[in-house]
Amino acid sequence: MDNEHESGQPATRTLGEPIVITDGVKKWFGDFQALKGITTSVKEQEVVVVIGPSGSGKSTFIRLLNREEKPTVGKVYVAGKDIVGLSSWKVPFLRRNIGCIFQDYRLLPKRTVAENVAFALEVIGRPKHVIDQQVPAILDLVGLSEKSHRMPDELSGGEQQRVSIARAFVNRPLILLADEPTGNLDPDTAVGIMRLLDRINRTGTTVVMATHDRGIVDTMRRRVIELSDGRIVRDQSGGQYR
Amino acid sequence: MIGKIRFLLAETGQNIWRNIALTFASIIVVAASLSLFGASRLVADGVDNATQRWEGGIEFVVFMKADAEPSQLVAIETLLAESEGKEIDDWNFVSKEETFSEFTEFFAGDEELLGTISVDTMPPSYRIRPTDTNAGAVEALGTTFETKPGVRTVVFATEVIREIQDNASKISRATLWAGVALVVASTIMILTTLSIAIASRRNEIEIMKLVGASNWFIRVPFMIEGMVQGVVGALVALPGLAFVRTYLIEDFSESDNLRLLEGFRVSDAEFLFTSLLVIAIGTLVATIGSIVAVSRYLDV
Ligand SMILES: Nc1ncnc2c1ncn2[C@@H]1O[C@H](COP(=O)(O)OP(=O)(O)OP(=O)(O)O)[C@@H](O)[C@H]1O
Ligand SMILES: [Mg+2]
Repeated sequence: MDNEHESGQPATRTLGEPIVITDGVKKWFGDFQALKGITTSVKEQEVVVVIGPSGSGKSTFIRLLNREEKPTVGKVYVAGKDIVGLSSWKVPFLRRNIGCIFQDYRLLPKRTVAENVAFALEVIGRPKHVIDQQVPAILDLVGLSEKSHRMPDELSGGEQQRVSIARAFVNRPLILLADEPTGNLDPDTAVGIMRLLDRINRTGTTVVMATHDRGIVDTMRRRVIELSDGRIVRDQSGGQYR
Repeated sequence: MIGKIRFLLAETGQNIWRNIALTFASIIVVAASLSLFGASRLVADGVDNATQRWEGGIEFVVFMKADAEPSQLVAIETLLAESEGKEIDDWNFVSKEETFSEFTEFFAGDEELLGTISVDTMPPSYRIRPTDTNAGAVEALGTTFETKPGVRTVVFATEVIREIQDNASKISRATLWAGVALVVASTIMILTTLSIAIASRRNEIEIMKLVGASNWFIRVPFMIEGMVQGVVGALVALPGLAFVRTYLIEDFSESDNLRLLEGFRVSDAEFLFTSLLVIAIGTLVATIGSIVAVSRYLDV
């Protein structure tokens, strides 16, 4: 069992090459400028926690990384590729390398837990024998083997978030993007989710997470990027919420 | 690959099932428009066939007896040649063989009827275009042939036939407009059904995009759904067309008091052509509707 959150001691580990680079990114929504020049990079296997007040641009920043949004100005590179100029038919192949989880889980209500996870593999054309083997394995990893035939509305919030993590991770992405993954959870459940994300990070997956959760930031002591009004106002490794 | 296809078909099936009422309505609109279109084409074909011999200003036809002597034919032709340029503007001879082939074309498929006839039993005829098309003058001229040896009967293009011919052109114009209207109505119907199908699945679509389903993978189930509506609609229209052909057109041609409309039939070839046209238009409409729907509402 991994206790590093409680101990407050981040594991020392060697990080790889930058896997995400943003260069002078500005984003306007009509007249409103949400991002005002974001230049930063994230290394392979790193965990980056993005904090900042509501409306500071955290979600917008995260959405740039899987091409849900395009910057108005500036460059975004993922795994060495310029993703801003990526033609739209290639975007799905980018996204197969990026898992996403959200505050509201976004599970399909009419499918069981196992079917929700399998869906992510089915729609990218994975063969049935691969699906049959990987879905139980990932449900085991997130601790939901027993509940694989439950419907999402029969699960607690924490369990639903685990299903959504399983779905995001079942395809073994390079990067996991998490936008307020614990936003709807009580503190104890949130800690469980953070442990799970930490385990996923240890398999080599880079994690970029936006959060409001002070407790998590302070106990994780990972790199913190703080946004305010569309700008980076702090970038600190082993940072705290303040 | 097999798994992919099975998944896509299962998705399509689910889409249709969830959206069954609208899909059904859409199929009915397509079927109704295509039936209308096909039926007006069939009627136009029937009118064409029935009035073919009256085309080009032909005002009356002199039918000879099937067993008329060659000398009797020569006598009529001499008479016609003398009058040419005077009372008669133009005329042409329709031989037994030509009559027979016209007949077999009309009644193709009706083996029972065709078995009872042969080239020998067909009457040869002269189709005549008079110079003066005034009804009285035409009748006076025509009756002079009635008493000639070897003549069986003289048939006049009556007002009814002229009216039918006039209407035929109106029908074909109406057909064109019905065609345009149906393409628009059916396309909009399919488009609307698909937009609702897409809206009702936006959660699935969003997840599919996030996990990296290819654009085609997202589009295909909706495109198949649209195609099903167009093609099934067309197939539903076909029995309706067969009904129009058999019961309306052919009953009409057999009714006694409408002897004028003899030959008011649709040949197998014409029926096949109209059926294929209906299927082609159904497919075209579905293709257009599907492509517009996925490119407008799917945003992938
Ligand atoms: N699609 C959009 N159209 C217009 N404005 C937008 C859009 N998306 C975001 N914004 C604006 O950009 C700003 C940053 O939004 P963003 O969602 O990135 O904030 P956030 O830091 O994630 O906030 P929160 O903590 O509330 O989630 C906000 O003012 C928001 O209103
Ligand atoms: Mg946000």
